[in-house]
Amino acid sequence: MTDRIFAAVLLAVTIGYAVIAFTVISAPFQYDPLGPESWPQILSIVAVLCLLYILWRPDDVTMDLTRSVWFRLGAAVALLLAYGRLYEPLGFVIATILFGTIMALMLSAPRWGAVAFGVAAGVLGWLLCVTVMDLNLPEGAVVEALLETFNKEGN
Amino acid sequence: MKIVYLATAMACAVAAPAFAQSTIDKPECIAPANPGGGFDLTCRVAQTGLEPHLTAPVQVTFMPGGIGAVAFNQFNTNRTDDGSAIVAFSTGSLLNIIVGKYGAFDENDVRWLGTAGADFGAVVVRADSEYASLKDVMDDLAADPQSVVVGAGGSVGSQDWMKGALLMREAGGTPMQMRYVAFDGGGDAIAALLGGSIEVYTGDVGEMVPYLESGEMKVLATLSPDRLAAPFDQIPTAKEQGYDVEWTIMRGFYMGKDVSDADYQAWVDAFEAAYATDAFANVQAERGLLPLNLSGEALTASINGTMDELRAIATEAGLIK
Amino acid sequence: MDTVLSGLATGFAVALDPFNLMLVLVGCFLGTLIGALPGLGPINGVAILLPIAYGLGFQPEAALILLAGIYYGAEYGGRISSILLNVPGDAGAVMTTLDGNPMARNGEAGRALSLSAVASFVGGTFAVILMSLFAPALAKFAVTFGPADYVALMVFAFASLASLVGKSTVKTLLGATIGLMLATIGIDANTGVARYTFGIPDILAGIDFLIVVVGLFGMAELLSLVEHQARGTLKSLPVDRSFVRMADLAQTKWTIARASVIGFFIGILPGTGASVASAVAYGTEKRISDTHGTFGTGDVRGLAAPEAANNAAAGGSMVPMLTLGIPGSGTTAILLGALLMFNIQPGPMMFAQRPEVAWGLVASMYIGNVALLVINLPLVGLFARMLTIPQHYLTPLIAVLAFIGIYTIVGNPHDLFMITMLGVFGWFLRKLDFSLAPIILGFVLGGLFEDNLRRALSISGGDWGILVQNWKSVLLYLLALLVVLVPVVLARRARKVAAA
Repeated sequence: MTDRIFAAVLLAVTIGYAVIAFTVISAPFQYDPLGPESWPQILSIVAVLCLLYILWRPDDVTMDLTRSVWFRLGAAVALLLAYGRLYEPLGFVIATILFGTIMALMLSAPRWGAVAFGVAAGVLGWLLCVTVMDLNLPEGAVVEALLETFNKEGN
Repeated sequence: MKIVYLATAMACAVAAPAFAQSTIDKPECIAPANPGGGFDLTCRVAQTGLEPHLTAPVQVTFMPGGIGAVAFNQFNTNRTDDGSAIVAFSTGSLLNIIVGKYGAFDENDVRWLGTAGADFGAVVVRADSEYASLKDVMDDLAADPQSVVVGAGGSVGSQDWMKGALLMREAGGTPMQMRYVAFDGGGDAIAALLGGSIEVYTGDVGEMVPYLESGEMKVLATLSPDRLAAPFDQIPTAKEQGYDVEWTIMRGFYMGKDVSDADYQAWVDAFEAAYATDAFANVQAERGLLPLNLSGEALTASINGTMDELRAIATEAGLIK
Repeated sequence: MDTVLSGLATGFAVALDPFNLMLVLVGCFLGTLIGALPGLGPINGVAILLPIAYGLGFQPEAALILLAGIYYGAEYGGRISSILLNVPGDAGAVMTTLDGNPMARNGEAGRALSLSAVASFVGGTFAVILMSLFAPALAKFAVTFGPADYVALMVFAFASLASLVGKSTVKTLLGATIGLMLATIGIDANTGVARYTFGIPDILAGIDFLIVVVGLFGMAELLSLVEHQARGTLKSLPVDRSFVRMADLAQTKWTIARASVIGFFIGILPGTGASVASAVAYGTEKRISDTHGTFGTGDVRGLAAPEAANNAAAGGSMVPMLTLGIPGSGTTAILLGALLMFNIQPGPMMFAQRPEVAWGLVASMYIGNVALLVINLPLVGLFARMLTIPQHYLTPLIAVLAFIGIYTIVGNPHDLFMITMLGVFGWFLRKLDFSLAPIILGFVLGGLFEDNLRRALSISGGDWGILVQNWKSVLLYLLALLVVLVPVVLARRARKVAAA
């Protein structure tokens, strides 16, 4: 059943892909007989055939997850999305401290261990990547603004 | 961090006005293509030519895809205020803006910074090719457009393609009749020419410098208005050979629209300082570029003029309505 | 030959200078650290450290030697996260996860890491030797490989990958097709038409390979760890002190030899690199020698093959760059930039004009390979200890490392969103018994396949005959047929023997 649902969702996406391949994509003129549309058309046909086969004879797989596991996974994805969203506004250090701490807590790390981990990942990560390896990580709009006011007051 | 750098910059400017170096944090030149082609070369001019005038060396990075569209969009969306990065452009990029490949953004959405110089189209064949002159190629094209396999590093509508299309038109055919192979950048196209997959490469003069000495390829014609200086002085122009085909490529750099005036000016100063030296002229010459030194306002005005001309050509070639 | 020997002598004189020797070691170590970050491989490692090398004001040969060390280090560093965490560090390391990670899960992380170091060393050294002896001739051969031959090479690659079929054939085929479909996103290289970009500029160039790898593999692995943790089915691994054994080397010697040859020849072709090389080497090896179906469960040969191949390919890709000035891969493109930065024009005249730099670089590749072995073998135990970090810290750490790696490539937060969503997709696929490798390979090979097919047809003016017009293509098609048929024949013979 799970297989069928997944295949049905993918089939919907693939049909969208196919519709674009057969109707939208075209070049004003081209030097090869295939053009930009043939390759996606072929791929979409192969994919649709595979998906129809899976719908017809699905494998016997079940997700076999309890509601609490689903909840944990959903929370992990939400955390990751939030981490990505806040990466630039908060900057690497703060975003990583928050993410590291909350994620570790969620995975049932000891409370102070989680905080220590988050702070270590944020601060050591910054020192190692930016100071030693000279990588380009976001300082954070918030941090930058703070630094600026600090600097002005300093003057 | 930036504040510290700015402070140092000012300190330097005050302390050493005689030999001012512009201070730019981690200067970066983005070549919006794969390595080995024209954008690569443009960035190398900035890298070598600006070296004495910047406090740090310019790093060249590559952002291939969509013949510059990705970089253009990147600098119109994510990095509009990146004061460290300049992006290479050429006349071909202007063409892309015109035909709408760069999306909704146009020439008014970036800050035109300075030029690296001018380059010219070149008609290149392998050293052992049966084509000894441009006339041989043109005769074949006139007799049967399908008999010559032309290739270059850009897709249909790119300036590499335009050079082929202009040759085809001069030979009395239409661009659609041509047998044209699009590669992903000049490097791949040169490999294909050396390997014999294509017969004629419509490239640029500048990228031919390392190959002139080794004698693996020969340049049948430059698409310049006049003979070029050494080491290209032996190569006739298309016009000399009786074909009215000319393709001048302006090579230069732009920055994001929201770059601060201070950062922009730091770059402009570096370019202006470089333009005044013989060393920069030498760098240009080594890369097969003719001096064409414009920066800031002057460049922006010149680009607006070029855009009008190109729009006319593109309409004529049927690329825009 | 004499010129090669005297050239190498010059080169070694430069590279064995104590200062330069130290630079190789430092480079290898730094490179290993950078390479261990998921998403940061040799390309970014060299690119990131290039301005530093330049800024230190070294002689050109010293700077290049440092960069070559970083290159090799990063190449190896990518294996660490592949083996230990099932998170490939870069393009070439995907195949390494297939048998490397199962070995680590069986408590043999040290054995896997040390074997990987040895296989890399052999592959890399083999490539450098061939390069220093025959580079000009090899480069001439490499450029004769035209679009039609690339098409044949892709057919061969897909044929050898047919061996990756997992539990379900149709799911493997679908996976490869999904990968191919993902590869069609972006501006078409032939006509310049945008496909499936929906006006989003970030994907005009297509989706970055690293995003797909780190997303589908790395983030999916992370979600899977979260799942197991929530179910309480996560088993902790004992501290592992395993190391590569003589028996492993004896068992993998032909595997490594074959993979080195395959890797090197794929590496010298402009446009293909370590990812294609390791995939073809793994696929071929599995076809030839996986008689007991142990590949994918922690077979040493399944680890040695891609490791030898991708290092051989890394060496091979130097050939067109040094002799023709045409970069064959992303990393060599950056090294080419480094040469130009020091005002050295790579290409036909380089060995004549700047012998100390050209041969110094070649010699430092020999030394870099040795240095890597010397530095990394003693550290294997330390790296393997990474697995003893409690899961509730290791899991968020994977995310932090992956985000660093992906963000630093172009500095675009949109990419972080992409890897998370691809991770969710990858987790579902894994739950449903899809194997992820075919998707990745479809994605890598898809663009090369389509573009070259259409280039070939533009050259021929639409005549499909061009695809079988020269011996190289025909040979590759025959090999493809062989790779598909040999296991079938072998299996039938085995059955006959068993019956008799």
